[in-house]
Amino acid sequence: MKMQLAILGMMLLPTVALAAPDFAGSWLRDNAKSDPAPNTMYWMTRGATTMGGGRGNAQVILNIQQDAKALQVDDAQSAPRNYILDGKPHSRPTDTGIQKAEVTANLQTDALIIETTQPFGGMPGNATLTVKEVWSLSPDGKTLTVTATRDLPARQQTYKQVYIRTQPASAVLCSAGCVPAPK
Amino acid sequence: MAKNISRRKFFGGAVAGGLAAATPSTIVAQTPAPRRVGLPDVWGQDFLYQWTPPENVKRDLTPGPGVIRLSNSQDITNKEGTDYDAMFKGMRAAGWTACEAASAAWLSRKLPDSEVSEIKAQLKAHDVVFYNIHCAGNIIAPDPQGQQWQRHIIDAVHAAEQMDLRMILTHTGSMYPNRNTAHPLNWSRQAWERSVNALKNICKSTAGSKIKVAIEPVNTEAINNPWAMKRLREDVGDERIMCGLDITNMVYAGTAFRMSELLNTTFELLEGMIAYIHAKDYVWDGMLPGLDWAMNGTGNMDYELFLAHISRIKDPIMYVEFLSTPEEYQQAQRNIRAIASKIGVKIHGTQA
Repeated sequence: MKMQLAILGMMLLPTVALAAPDFAGSWLRDNAKSDPAPNTMYWMTRGATTMGGGRGNAQVILNIQQDAKALQVDDAQSAPRNYILDGKPHSRPTDTGIQKAEVTANLQTDALIIETTQPFGGMPGNATLTVKEVWSLSPDGKTLTVTATRDLPARQQTYKQVYIRTQPASAVLCSAGCVPAPK
Repeated sequence: MAKNISRRKFFGGAVAGGLAAATPSTIVAQTPAPRRVGLPDVWGQDFLYQWTPPENVKRDLTPGPGVIRLSNSQDITNKEGTDYDAMFKGMRAAGWTACEAASAAWLSRKLPDSEVSEIKAQLKAHDVVFYNIHCAGNIIAPDPQGQQWQRHIIDAVHAAEQMDLRMILTHTGSMYPNRNTAHPLNWSRQAWERSVNALKNICKSTAGSKIKVAIEPVNTEAINNPWAMKRLREDVGDERIMCGLDITNMVYAGTAFRMSELLNTTFELLEGMIAYIHAKDYVWDGMLPGLDWAMNGTGNMDYELFLAHISRIKDPIMYVEFLSTPEEYQQAQRNIRAIASKIGVKIHGTQA
């Protein structure tokens, strides 16, 4: 009997250990533990400041829905982002609507890796920007850390965003058509 | 109220009216239709400003044969005791293979022939091209300043000859003393005529010189678009009048998101008269039509198309300016080289 249980346990262990992280739920950014978010919209020069881009210390809430095939992120600052979790490149319009971005989302056992390649400002002829985001959960599932590395020919920026879970996962299947979680 | 009309006016009007009624098509055909400068309409022109680009704008990214030299606004100096070998060596090592001087500083010291020879020898040794004196001043400022600045430009032409440069660069200026301040009359007939006459005077005073007199079109001045630039050259009547093209200086709300078209139009209209090019980029980032400078290759400038057009110019030189730190200049150069490489445009030299 012990042997049978041991075998059963060994059979189940990989399933538990290899379970992909579940990011679904509502998350509040922990500004104290997060790096200041850079202005992802513009790269100003001559010390110019701008109203666009950059989030400073504003309250940021992510509402995430996820199933085995897809993940959707909503926040008040940007358009909803939908990712297909198949590790393959998918084309989608940039925020400007006039250029294309190529997005690959790869859900691994310990992290979600999202890689995006696009013209920097979404305008024709821009330098190519590559963004790699690594999403990971704390062991208790209550803290989400997103580390983003932004690569342009002229510079590389890495910054970390830390979020605290405020609501559990929604039951809605994202790949069946996401409905934004209550805010 | 009754109005008295003389017999001559009455019959004159009747004759004119009769002619118009009899042969309207002939008269119309003889009178060129009024033409409005600017980019073509896209959609909803009866109620919308035409600020969104049309779909499928032609973007011919085929590289030309030109190998672009990059220069920057960290101008060369002719201060007494300058080590020209070290100065040009440093430029070249940083990836800059061309340079220009600021007029006020350059003209402030008369160079002995031995020093002129030394500069030329060091330029050659390091394969750096000194091509331009970038002039201060305002040639249509209220007199006597306007005349004084015209004299300054004439002096710059002579200094450029001494150094075997290809050009000097100036603006047509403003009706205010400071050329960077927009005056409400800058687009008046008066300002246009002052601009043309000032340049005629400069060309006449430097007749026989091979130095190009490049004009930088700028929104705040009479020459605020490529059509005006072309017309200026015609009105001055001298082929030495060229364009120092800083296309971002001609951007306003109507073209802020239509750079691919503005590039195509400008390079087509000004073919053969672009002396060199400024490399700036920008974004529209405020509620007012406020444009701010952005890092090269990250803003609204269609940098791929820009570089492709530049590579089709003979001996192209691109001037990187309006940045704050040496690091920003290096970053700008890195972006420019990467975009050029992506579309097969060649940039002279290498960046460490």
